[in-house]
Amino acid sequence: MRQAGAYSGLLCGGVSGRTGPHSLPLARIKKIMKNSGEDVKMISGEAPIIFSKACELFIEELTRRSWIMAIQGKRRTLHKEDLASAVIATDIFDFLITLVSSSESHAVGGATNVMEVETIDCS
Amino acid sequence: MEDIGGSSSNDNNNNGGIIKEQDRLLPIANVGRLMKRILPQNAKISKEAKETMQECVSEFISFVTSEASEKCRKERRKTVNGDDICWALATLGFDNYAEPMRRYLHRYREVEVDHNKVNLQEKGNSPEEKDDELFKLSNRGVGL
Repeated sequence: MRQAGAYSGLLCGGVSGRTGPHSLPLARIKKIMKNSGEDVKMISGEAPIIFSKACELFIEELTRRSWIMAIQGKRRTLHKEDLASAVIATDIFDFLITLVSSSESHAVGGATNVMEVETIDCS
Repeated sequence: MEDIGGSSSNDNNNNGGIIKEQDRLLPIANVGRLMKRILPQNAKISKEAKETMQECVSEFISFVTSEASEKCRKERRKTVNGDDICWALATLGFDNYAEPMRRYLHRYREVEVDHNKVNLQEKGNSPEEKDDELFKLSNRGVGL
């Protein structure tokens, strides 16, 4: 006899039935992992599953912080500038600064934003 | 540990040279839905914000995967697994994610073990039923 409880945590976690418990497509996550470097050889079946959840947390955190920027700007529409501001303001998102900056530069027709952001490591 | 896609997991997509644009990012509909559910109901999200988030998520996956695979290389292991991902998250400053991810990983492994037991017991059952269970457990996800 199957224990229903064993599955409930995973099965109820999803956003829609179409993707089961995972709201992000596992095959796509795996492809992105593969493309992250030459030395990524084999990926266990559990790794994309863990990432699907980690990416949810990441999206939620960056969205939440971006929304704070939008609110401070007296707006109710989230813009990409809000994401850029949130990235700049948050240490753990440092690895995204180049990405959101080049995105902005492109939008402004090549204008370069000079950001003097110093991260002081207090650890 | 079983690899998704069988032997294809040995393929290196980089050998193809050009990476398909759609394969480089997660689907914008899935990303947009996750963003929306964390915001107030009256909030709106511009398309550019969704596109920027798509880029950020892919960068996040690559960033963490690179750290995890480097650990595997040093330990002379070939397969990146869930523990490596959790370790990399903690190492890169995502401490708040690493602990819930470890719990998620443990729960997933328990389900795997339990499912294997159920599978053995149901050896005589119809293939459709097993396929249904496998579909639920390891669904690859069909983006909208």
